[in-house]
Amino acid sequence: MNRVFWAILGKELLAFLRSAGLVAMVLYSFTIDIYIAGEGIQIKPRNVHIGYVDETGGGISQKILTHLHTPEFLPPKRYRSQKELSRSIFNKETLVGLVFDREFEKDFRQGKKAQLNVLLDATAASQSFTTLGYLQNIVLDFSELDLPVAIKTHKLFNENADNKSFMALTELLSVITLLIVILTAVVFVKEKEEGTWEIMLLMPVDPRLIILAKSLSQVFIVMAGVVLALGFVVFGAFHAPMNGSFWAFMLLTFLYSFSSAGIGLFVAAVSNSVLQVAQFSIIIMMPLIFLSGAWTPVYAMHPVLQVLSFFSPLRYYIEGSESIFYRGTEWIDLWPYFSGVMLLGALLYWYGFRKIGKLF
Amino acid sequence: MADLEVHNVTVSYKKKVAIKDASLKANAGEIIGLIGADGSGKSSLMHAIAGVTRFEGEVCYGGVSYRSPKEAEQLKSDIGLMPQGIGLVLYDTLTVAEHLDFFADIRNIQKNEAFKTYRQKLLHMAGLTEFTNRQAGKLSGGMMQKLSLICALLHRPKLLILDEPTTGVDPLSRMELWEILDGICKSEGTIALVSTAYMQEAAKMARVLLFDEGEIIASDTVKALIDSVGNYTYEQTACENERCFSFDEHTYSLEPLHAPHTEPTLEALFFVNALQKGQTLPHIEIEARESQDEVPQVVMEAKGLTKIFGDFVANDHVSMNLHGGEIVGLLGANGAGKTTFIKMLLGLYPIDEGELYLLGQQIRSGKDRQKLKSKIGYVSQHFALYKDMTVRENLLYFANMHRIAVTTALSRINRYAKELGFEDYMDYFPHELPLGINQRFSVAAAMLHEPVVLFLDEPTSGVDTIARAQFWQILQGIKKKWGISILITTHYMSEAEYCDRVVLMKEGRKIADDSVKVLHAAHPDAKNFEEIFLEYYRSKR
Repeated sequence: MNRVFWAILGKELLAFLRSAGLVAMVLYSFTIDIYIAGEGIQIKPRNVHIGYVDETGGGISQKILTHLHTPEFLPPKRYRSQKELSRSIFNKETLVGLVFDREFEKDFRQGKKAQLNVLLDATAASQSFTTLGYLQNIVLDFSELDLPVAIKTHKLFNENADNKSFMALTELLSVITLLIVILTAVVFVKEKEEGTWEIMLLMPVDPRLIILAKSLSQVFIVMAGVVLALGFVVFGAFHAPMNGSFWAFMLLTFLYSFSSAGIGLFVAAVSNSVLQVAQFSIIIMMPLIFLSGAWTPVYAMHPVLQVLSFFSPLRYYIEGSESIFYRGTEWIDLWPYFSGVMLLGALLYWYGFRKIGKLF
Repeated sequence: MADLEVHNVTVSYKKKVAIKDASLKANAGEIIGLIGADGSGKSSLMHAIAGVTRFEGEVCYGGVSYRSPKEAEQLKSDIGLMPQGIGLVLYDTLTVAEHLDFFADIRNIQKNEAFKTYRQKLLHMAGLTEFTNRQAGKLSGGMMQKLSLICALLHRPKLLILDEPTTGVDPLSRMELWEILDGICKSEGTIALVSTAYMQEAAKMARVLLFDEGEIIASDTVKALIDSVGNYTYEQTACENERCFSFDEHTYSLEPLHAPHTEPTLEALFFVNALQKGQTLPHIEIEARESQDEVPQVVMEAKGLTKIFGDFVANDHVSMNLHGGEIVGLLGANGAGKTTFIKMLLGLYPIDEGELYLLGQQIRSGKDRQKLKSKIGYVSQHFALYKDMTVRENLLYFANMHRIAVTTALSRINRYAKELGFEDYMDYFPHELPLGINQRFSVAAAMLHEPVVLFLDEPTSGVDTIARAQFWQILQGIKKKWGISILITTHYMSEAEYCDRVVLMKEGRKIADDSVKVLHAAHPDAKNFEEIFLEYYRSKR
């Protein structure tokens, strides 16, 4: 143990620091990539192009339009006929088109049911439907309906309902998954490519020690990247809340990285070149990330997929991390996530370990 | 004016100059030899002349001059190029006949009667007439090279450029390749530029260009070249001054020595050139090892080792043994099964059949090997070293793997660096160093734990003459001072002379196993080992 172990670990870290390309990739993934994900993936409407046709001569229609303002909407643009508006939507110049027909104002004033026609480009489904929700709210304000129910919202855990820090966190978790798998696989496959693998096999060293030291070195690199990402992006740029224990998150990340390193070991066992590592990693990781609920909530999936999602360690990791960050769950109550990550992790690492161990 | 004239051609890649100011002249029907180590600029010059790489300078062929690949385009139908590497231009799943049709089609050759006769003639010369329906992937290395050659000859090129066509090919096929080439050059009046790593082949060439570190150091007929260094070549004697080097029963010295002169070989030119350039060739002195491990009488004994890949028998019941304190050379062409055999000995490949005893122990499983690992040293083909660590870091890493105490490791590393002459390169990365230095430092890495047996897989392949000579001096020194056994594979038949015993392999089988003296005595007519092996190849076919 000890000396040989640290020699291998130190060598891997040195080799990593000396390969500019890998360092750049890891730095990029843990900073800019996460920043872009947080800043760029928007579910709320933003800069939506609105077009309208107004045949009423202004009044109520203009009052409604004044509610559509930046940053959600660009200033509404007027078209002379519905035909022109339709063409503009067809040409992707406009996302949402409003048509105030001749009867609109008259009906409104007379207290009849006034009809506002809305044309939506449903290819940009989420943006246009959220816009529709906005519109309904605006229209609701105009009607003098006296509903006996009033809604008072209390936003929990994420008071500003800001999804930037949420998206950034989800991206961070996906980056950790992908990087640990690729990095671990690459340290083994590079030896295969350069022919040093055979030299390593002939060393009077326990293969288990080599595997452990090599995978641990990559876990360290990823942990360092996580600290960077948290400091600069998640907390720094997006001011994510940290309601739970920071160390609980770090421990969960450490355990999770080890389990994903197991997938990396498996990938390394079956590939002979760095290119194959990239191909295998993506084939294996995509379903795992998909099933984890990172992109679609688990409860919204097909029942079969819901069952399968129990086997994605990323699912426990994401749910656990969210609980720590937003809900501030206590250590003791995190046990389902910890046990999920550890159980699946132990299985994956054991399998990968055996798979690569056979090559020794 | 000569038919082919090359004026001051320089080829450089990024910052590295591959060949500088090379000039040559050749006339129709001549074979010009390019001799030198890997990386000495042969391929670059050939690619420039073939018009497939950018270069400075000028090439004139048949009255047309060109300075760039674009200008050379008009001559492409006259040029035939065969790049380095066995079977590189062939398609594994196409048959011999399909290859000839394919190359005829892309060269747009009329398939008339004349072509058919010529095609038959080529097939006959290459000895491939009976194999026209065999897929290229299933041909032997020698047959692949012959097929590549006749594919390059199909359009009757007037300027034939062959980059190391014979490297790694068995001696018989090599001779046949030269016969084809000779016949074509005489009958078609073709100019052939041929590079080779084998000095013996120089005899077949009209003129020889010697390459060293990106320069042509000499260019003349073989006889004139050899005569030019006659004054510096002596029978082996003690060196009295710095500018002197002894190797293989010859001593080369720029200053007169009190010893009789002897007939030099072509190798002498490289030694004399190095001495004239003022390179000091460090005298290699190996000290005794620190540990006193007994070297057993029989270090390794293999009985009927067999390795099968799919339906290909890589090693067919190979038996041999290795005694204490001897250097055994495992010789054979590429694909003869040398590497497979060494890998079975080391446990890198599982043994399919047969028994293996290492250091007196029978090897049945990986566990039996675990204890022996600290007594075995191994240098793999291409010197596998960690590219992102310096020489010193690499050696320290290997020392750590062997759990050698830090102080011992440091003193050993420094001692080897001095003894093997790579002291000045300790803080460089392996890719920044010449092949010869990497070779020596790989050996140092394999010797750190003071093994009792060394396995070396093609350590001299691609290394220049001087580095090879020094490498053999190191091996002799290790054997003498350490008393350990060395098993070394090589495809240079001439290196057999430096071994105590030689095992010759062909197509996975052992065809000869005897001491150098006995082999020489059994073949009194043979001038060198090349010819002895040729006889073995002929008789066992």
